[in-house]
Amino acid sequence: MKVQVKNLRKEFGKTVAVDNISFSFDSGHVFGFVGPNGAGKTTTMRIISTIEEPTAGDVLLNGISVCEEPELARRAVGYVPDTLPAHADITVHEYLDFYARAYGLRGKKRTQAIEAIEEFTNVTGIRDKHLKALSKGMKQRVSLGRALVYDPDVLVLDEPAAGLDPRARIELRELLLLLAERKKAILISSHILTELTEICNGVVIIERGKILETGTIDDVLKKSSPRRTVAIRLLEGNHHPNLLKELLQTPFVENARDVASEIHFELTGDESAACDILGDLIAKKYKIIEFRQTKQNLEDIFMNVTKGGVQ
Amino acid sequence: MNLAGIKNHFTNWRGWEMNPIVIKELRQGVRSWTVTGMLLLFLVVLFVTSIGFLLTQSFEISQNMQLGGSMFSAFMVILAGASIFFIPLYTGVRVAAERQANNPDLLYVSTLSPFRIIFGKFLCSAYIAVLFFSACMPFMAFTNLLRGVDLPTVFFILFFLFLVVCAANMIAIFLACLPASLPFKILFALGGLVASFLIIGSLVGLSFEFMRSGVGAMMTGKDFWVGTATTVGIGLMITGLFFVLSVALISPPSANRALPVRLYLTAIWLIGGIFAFIWVVQTGEAERLTAWTVPTFLIMMPALLVVISNEDQLSLRVRRTIPQSPVKRFLAFFFYNGAAGGVLWVGGILAATYSLAASAMVYFPKKVYSSPESSHWFATTAFYAFAYGLTALFIQRKFFPRRPAKLTGLLAVLLAGGWAIAPGIVLFFVNQLSWKSIDRFQPGNIFNVFSIRDEPDVLNHEVLAGIWLLVMIVVNARWLRRQILNFQPAVSGTAVSPPPVPR
Repeated sequence: MKVQVKNLRKEFGKTVAVDNISFSFDSGHVFGFVGPNGAGKTTTMRIISTIEEPTAGDVLLNGISVCEEPELARRAVGYVPDTLPAHADITVHEYLDFYARAYGLRGKKRTQAIEAIEEFTNVTGIRDKHLKALSKGMKQRVSLGRALVYDPDVLVLDEPAAGLDPRARIELRELLLLLAERKKAILISSHILTELTEICNGVVIIERGKILETGTIDDVLKKSSPRRTVAIRLLEGNHHPNLLKELLQTPFVENARDVASEIHFELTGDESAACDILGDLIAKKYKIIEFRQTKQNLEDIFMNVTKGGVQ
Repeated sequence: MNLAGIKNHFTNWRGWEMNPIVIKELRQGVRSWTVTGMLLLFLVVLFVTSIGFLLTQSFEISQNMQLGGSMFSAFMVILAGASIFFIPLYTGVRVAAERQANNPDLLYVSTLSPFRIIFGKFLCSAYIAVLFFSACMPFMAFTNLLRGVDLPTVFFILFFLFLVVCAANMIAIFLACLPASLPFKILFALGGLVASFLIIGSLVGLSFEFMRSGVGAMMTGKDFWVGTATTVGIGLMITGLFFVLSVALISPPSANRALPVRLYLTAIWLIGGIFAFIWVVQTGEAERLTAWTVPTFLIMMPALLVVISNEDQLSLRVRRTIPQSPVKRFLAFFFYNGAAGGVLWVGGILAATYSLAASAMVYFPKKVYSSPESSHWFATTAFYAFAYGLTALFIQRKFFPRRPAKLTGLLAVLLAGGWAIAPGIVLFFVNQLSWKSIDRFQPGNIFNVFSIRDEPDVLNHEVLAGIWLLVMIVVNARWLRRQILNFQPAVSGTAVSPPPVPR
């Protein structure tokens, strides 16, 4: 399954919620969708899930257009909205059964599908509990189960980890990785960027309806931070006052500074330059016990590329 | 669905499954303390009433020939109260809660169509009504043993009551679907409560009348069946109207919301017209047509307000369904979303109604109480309504093009209302406000048409409204032409919408 978002644009009156964005992701991929509040993430997700119609552009799900064949496209997408199920007087099993029926699953096939999903999302033990009596984490599992009950190829999850405790988050992350293994194409939006770095293959950073960065996590990291920060820790008591001066005179080194008990500098060269610097320092008898490159994570990139603007 | 699909559907009847909404709603209903509590209360009231009657009344036939009738009346009031008051309220509140919840589209994420969703809600409310009716049945059957009421009367009254409950449920669903805020919905609910008291009152009065006359005795006459069929037909039409309106309300904004509503209204207009003409031919009295012309007028006036509030720009999904064939496209223009097509549709129906009614008066002149005044009243009000509507469209297009189109309907109401009130306010401040001043000719005041008596003033109104309408048609002609020319199917594969069309 290939999901292609093509020149998508959505206007609400004067407001341009989504402004000509394009990206794509495949089966087995978990794609992060990152942006400040009001960036256009939910609108894009609702368009992919056929709930909204774009003003221009299209989304193709294996070639099926959400504009031209919304009914067909809807069968391929499981949408988990950013709100939790809150239906009164209904149990978990009945809730899943309703959606299985709504998607046209019949007889034994429906029973099997519901049982499989209950087991997969680990809600078998609470299947007869009322939805209202569930915790947030459990409700999120039920919501995910609802989206999965008819076995869609694409999963669109809008802030699924919001408000979950650490255990529930870890469990959700494991479920998503399992789903990716099952060849689902997953688009997930979240403000918890450290988690996205761990589970996502690719990422789209969006602000004011426009894409700021997109690509695989590694590509985005490389693209947005060509300079690496290197940290050096010397053996205790071996601090040399000239080290900072010497480093600043070394090629490919900029902005050398003391940070706590370490010395940090920006490396403008490649990895062989880092090797040369390390060799040089050892040759000069500095007792180095740690020489490491500190990588930027998604959070740093997000802070660098976005300005916090909303529409 | 083609013929083969329909055949296949009926051959596989064993695989039919109930509407998922019905199952979900009934499950929720059974679990809900509201339904079970109300049902228990209902049974307790019935039981206590029965005991009360049995303890206080005599069983001697010679002493009380009407004990059964009296008990049935009491049960009927209790059943009407419980079903007309409670079931629509429960249904409406449930639908409103789902629409009002922080995740209103959760229901619509599935492949269930808006039609199936509304039908499911309606069916569920009908099942709950059946539950209450069946709980009441043993008590009512018992009354038949005590004399004073015949079985046909019992079934006839119950049948009518059930239809009224179903219609009330549908209206409650419609009100709950309206895109209004919670305070407005509470207001609707209060209005509904007042209305249900009125309905219960009139139903009880009607049922007493049936019990007094005895339905069994009336069943032999043709008039009884014609009257029953007409009442049932009108009831079903009203229920159907609220059904299609509810479906349109919950359909996504990008859907062709206008199509089912306009098709339905055209269909009931045609059917109503045919029956009205049959009646005219049978009686030879053209005045019978008012049973068709007046409801048409009453429905088309709010319809005009709704159609002028339609967006001009059609969504991609709608544009893709515009027929390629010029003839089909021409017909589709009247029924698809869009203010221009809507105005022409309302105009067409009103013009056809007026022309047919006028022709009927010529061919069936017997006992025509529809004097020329009533035709003037019809034409003048329609002219004014269109003039105000087209003026609002022009103002919206020229001065508020970036504002939502729903402003147009509001603008038309404000214009008509403002112009009607303004002279009164001025007269009040100069101490000249009197009944006489209200009766006087007020040019442009649509409501003045109903209060003036002098025939020259009626004509003045008609001429003025006609001229104003003509001017507005000329002013809007370019826009109308552009809308007709732009009504073209979107080419498949191009997902990009055309640039916004200036209104």
